[in-house]
Amino acid sequence: MTDTGDRDTSRSVPPPTGPGSPQDVPPEGFPIDPETLPDPIREELQAPDPVVIDTESKELSDGVNRCPKCGSTDVDLREESGTLVCLFCRNEWSGTKVEEAYGLGEGLEDLRGTVIASGAQEINDAIDAVMTLKCGGCGAEVVVNTTTELTARCHWCRHVLTVNEQIPNGAVPDAVLPFHISREDAIERIRQFVSKRQLFALTKFKREFVPENVLGVYLPYMVVDGNLSSEFWGQGEIETRQYTRGSGDDEETYYDADIYDVRRQVSFTVDDLTLESSAERGSLDTSVNTNNIINTVLPFDTKNAVKWNASFLQGYTSERRDQDVQELMPTVENQMLSIGRSQVMGSITGYDRGVRWTQEKLDVHGTRWVAMYLPVWLYSYYEPGRKGGMLHYIAVNARTGETMGSVPVQQWKLLLAAITTGTILEGFAIAIVGATL
Amino acid sequence: MIAQTLGVLASSDGVAWLLAVGPVSGVGLYWMLFRFYRNTDKSHSYEHETLVTAEPVTGDDAKVDEIKGTKNDEIDGRNDQQFRQRVERVR
Repeated sequence: MTDTGDRDTSRSVPPPTGPGSPQDVPPEGFPIDPETLPDPIREELQAPDPVVIDTESKELSDGVNRCPKCGSTDVDLREESGTLVCLFCRNEWSGTKVEEAYGLGEGLEDLRGTVIASGAQEINDAIDAVMTLKCGGCGAEVVVNTTTELTARCHWCRHVLTVNEQIPNGAVPDAVLPFHISREDAIERIRQFVSKRQLFALTKFKREFVPENVLGVYLPYMVVDGNLSSEFWGQGEIETRQYTRGSGDDEETYYDADIYDVRRQVSFTVDDLTLESSAERGSLDTSVNTNNIINTVLPFDTKNAVKWNASFLQGYTSERRDQDVQELMPTVENQMLSIGRSQVMGSITGYDRGVRWTQEKLDVHGTRWVAMYLPVWLYSYYEPGRKGGMLHYIAVNARTGETMGSVPVQQWKLLLAAITTGTILEGFAIAIVGATL
Repeated sequence: MIAQTLGVLASSDGVAWLLAVGPVSGVGLYWMLFRFYRNTDKSHSYEHETLVTAEPVTGDDAKVDEIKGTKNDEIDGRNDQQFRQRVERVR
């Protein structure tokens, strides 16, 4: 082997080229003139990037929400009025409605593309849920786990610190709808709901029923506006004649009908369609969970949602959003198709034998996504059983008061009632048959 | 009138229906009570509870055939009221 000796490194060498080198910069734009490409490709290339509405509460970014009158950070939510109240000087003030601040209720028919508010941005899994807040009062550093809490009290100077910065981990939404139904009111509604379901309720549930254990929870939702067109194809039938054949026991009714090919098209806008943005809550399988109970207490008066301020969460728990716009899009399209189908219902009433839809189409012209925390009073009861048992919820919409619940049943009581009723009626039936034969 | 009713019941179809009353009412009562307690059939009625502004519905209808003497009192596979039942999606 020959020693090649030291290389002269002082000599100027041409900059490296090739894949991965600094010269290998992606070209600006698209290398082919999009005008020369087929329409679908050109439209995709020229489609605007998702627009973002910045809803961040920059005035609160230091993590300290002060009373505008006295500067205290001891701020709490007053449920009756949905306003914030200073616990030091009793001053009350309300949040800014996002609908008015960002014009979210307007221009639905002009929506194009996907418009995402900054609180609904894509979740970055690499972002740590644990945040360190620097106390604006004394400078101490306070740690907050944003999965479950968005406020913390400085252990040195007692300042209340709030997470208001829209970190991309789904913890801080664009807006919050404050609790309105009081805890006492919720307890009474849950008590009434259960009192109507006593006879066949699980004995253990009745014995352990303590509605005072109800929890106020802010659950994560995506509130979606849409501008859409839908089209449906199928067949419908109109009865032309009805007649009977045979007589006595053999008499039967027959129908003649005209068959039509039916097509319907409708364009519509949807305002504030509300979807669960937590994968766990969005799973509505009644054989394994009772999430449908929480789903049933929708809708909320989302028009009254206010700009995010973690002070509204004082005294309540919250759940973090873990679903992005892309993950929720199939659910949105599914619900929009259902809405389209309900919209064309009025135009097919002439088909007295009904319509069988066989094909459907949805064109999504534009959607607008806003992440919100919505308030629910939740009572839960765990019923042990096979496959991990069942967690039963009784939920109260903390704005409208709508209450829905799942009360576990004592199976043997229910079966006994069904068998007893069936046996008694069967006894009557046998007696009648015996008397007539 | 009573004699006429008893006559219908005495027919073979009538007896079968009458004897089915016990099991049918037992199962029916079970499901009715189960749903009343567990509310497994409930969900948010977004089709009716969401604010929707629609333009007038358009479309067309063309007669393609006739049916004579069917015993079925509605179209086979009727789904116009099952808004959530998805059919073939045209892209």
